[in-house]
Amino acid sequence: MELMALITLAAASLITALGCFARSTRRTIIFLSMQAIAIGTVELVHCLINLIVGLNIEALVYFFITFAEWFSAAAVIPLILYWGVTKTENILDEPIIGIRRLILFASLITPLYVGLWLFQPPALQGKMASLPFCMLMFSLSIFLISTRNDSLKILVGLNMAENALYPLLAESPITLIPFILALMIFVTAMGTYIVVEAYRDYGTISVNRWRWLNK
Amino acid sequence: MYSLLPLLALLVPLCSGTLCLLTCLFSFLEEFSKKTAKILLLISATLSLASVLIMVPYCALGEVLEIPEFGLRADLSNIAALVATSALFFLVSIYNVRAERGGRLKPGIYNFFLLLFLCCMFGLLLSYDLFGIFLFVELVVGVSVILVAHNPIKLSTEAAFKYLVITALSALFVLIGVLSAFIPTGVSNLLSLASNWEAQAKLAENPTLIMFIIACFIIGLGADIGLVPFHGWLPDCLPASTIIINGFTSTEPIALILTLYKLVRPFYEIYPSNAMLALMLGVGSTSMLFGSLMAYSQKDFFRMFAYCSIDEYGHSLFILSLLPQPESFVAGQFYLITSTLAKTGMILSLGSVYYNTETSDMDSLGNLVKKMGKTALSYIICALSVAGMPPLSGFYAKFFAYSISYNFFYIHGGFPAAISITLLLTCISLVSFIFLIRAFQKIFFGRNIRNIDVNGEVPALMWLPTIILSVALVILGVRPDVLLKLIG
Repeated sequence: MELMALITLAAASLITALGCFARSTRRTIIFLSMQAIAIGTVELVHCLINLIVGLNIEALVYFFITFAEWFSAAAVIPLILYWGVTKTENILDEPIIGIRRLILFASLITPLYVGLWLFQPPALQGKMASLPFCMLMFSLSIFLISTRNDSLKILVGLNMAENALYPLLAESPITLIPFILALMIFVTAMGTYIVVEAYRDYGTISVNRWRWLNK
Repeated sequence: MYSLLPLLALLVPLCSGTLCLLTCLFSFLEEFSKKTAKILLLISATLSLASVLIMVPYCALGEVLEIPEFGLRADLSNIAALVATSALFFLVSIYNVRAERGGRLKPGIYNFFLLLFLCCMFGLLLSYDLFGIFLFVELVVGVSVILVAHNPIKLSTEAAFKYLVITALSALFVLIGVLSAFIPTGVSNLLSLASNWEAQAKLAENPTLIMFIIACFIIGLGADIGLVPFHGWLPDCLPASTIIINGFTSTEPIALILTLYKLVRPFYEIYPSNAMLALMLGVGSTSMLFGSLMAYSQKDFFRMFAYCSIDEYGHSLFILSLLPQPESFVAGQFYLITSTLAKTGMILSLGSVYYNTETSDMDSLGNLVKKMGKTALSYIICALSVAGMPPLSGFYAKFFAYSISYNFFYIHGGFPAAISITLLLTCISLVSFIFLIRAFQKIFFGRNIRNIDVNGEVPALMWLPTIILSVALVILGVRPDVLLKLIG
């Protein structure tokens, strides 16, 4: 793997870790945006260089699609979530680590790591060199989802987990990426809509409080 | 045979849904949208059913209708499921005319999401492309979640959010599985994978990778279906959704379970592993056991139905997982379709009870048989079919399934294993029979403790679909060959 890609993926992993421990909802969204910027930059710069060097239609199409991918993950999705904060509240909280949450976290992560361990990476050398970083970011995102009560932070965690798979998505057919992005934006918009509606019903975006109020 | 019919089946609900959406985007059409929404949905459902029925004569003759560029294909392996899904959607649309009372979504938007949901079901059944399947799975997540949140009660947003988190995460597992299969082989079409020796050799070199891919698909689609241990959202979503949404979403497992089968089958052919079978059979049998035992202890009929659904999904997966038995696909699909018909009839009948009484607590209900005779009749026929009583289709489905599982376990584990599994399956059916009949007794014959006043039977447009489903179950029980002819 190129040194530049290695550095940006390491930076993205660090940003994801910071996002896991961020206190306010707004700050978590900012970390989501920063993570997406870090992950997408290398691919975007690659496409830009190819466009400048090659100057052909194919390079232009690749550049636009990569830019759309980068822009939607780094700007559109965080803005949708930010709109959710403006319509609801900016919660200040810290990760809650209990036995139930740790079991949830472990049960989601263990199959992936067992899979990675059994994977025998030589069979996929080169093509999936970014896999360990993807797994690390994915695990951190699951940690964020399973340790927070703030529903918007949980949505941020879902998007961080999706972003973590972007280096692998680069291997998929380029024509499909716009559809995948549109769907990810759609799901985030639906999630934010539900949180806003729940805020109207319950007066809070804390998942625990919803349960308590239902009882 | 190259044919645009599979694409047409996808486009009809999508385009009619878009038209419904347009009616509510312009303020001058808002009144028109409100008045015509239910009729528009019914017309769209009829057109969708017609677009599927056009394909039946070709497929019945053994023709394969396909568009290789889009990875879409209709043949005997999916036509019965397509017909069942569209017919059920049509029947629930009739029920919707009187039962829908409005909610968070405007009528046009509500119709759009329902028709998009139908489009996703068709897409999942018709698509043989790994990325196409992922796109439809992701779309189903967004659409189903918003439909759950449509109910204007507090409970719906909490249930919808839980559903969103579980299923959106599961969709990521599907994506990981798709990418893990695509990156080493460069093949995304499942049919090409079955015929591409180079791709097969690359995968066969690494059996652990195949197991990893299968595990991702089972986690991903298992959570969408509601299989144990990924079922957490299902018992919360059913009581939180409107009765109509419960009817529409009860058709979902046909597409999702067959998609899981479609994804697993080519990998099993490349690497026929017992571990893969054990994984699928384990998830199936755990779902059956857990579902039936949990359903037994429920007092809310929607929650009972949710656990009963988990039990039925487990049965379908269990039968489809007997991959070395050539008849398992026919038996599994027959079971899946007949159990979905019966479950849809049951949930619509229970919806009618809820519509009239505003409660789903079985202890507070009772003595409804005099005033809701037709609903009681349709409920009991559907419940007996789910429990596997003759001469209903459920009996034939269970008989067919048990004989296949007996043969499979006799070959692979000997007589003790075969007889133990058959006994286990029979006991589970017995538990289902007990809780379904007990629910019938409580709702329709028990003492009405809270003196809930019921004016009479629900409107004809609400009981008619349930009676049609009951008649279909009787016909398929007497003449199962009608459906079997359509399953290749």
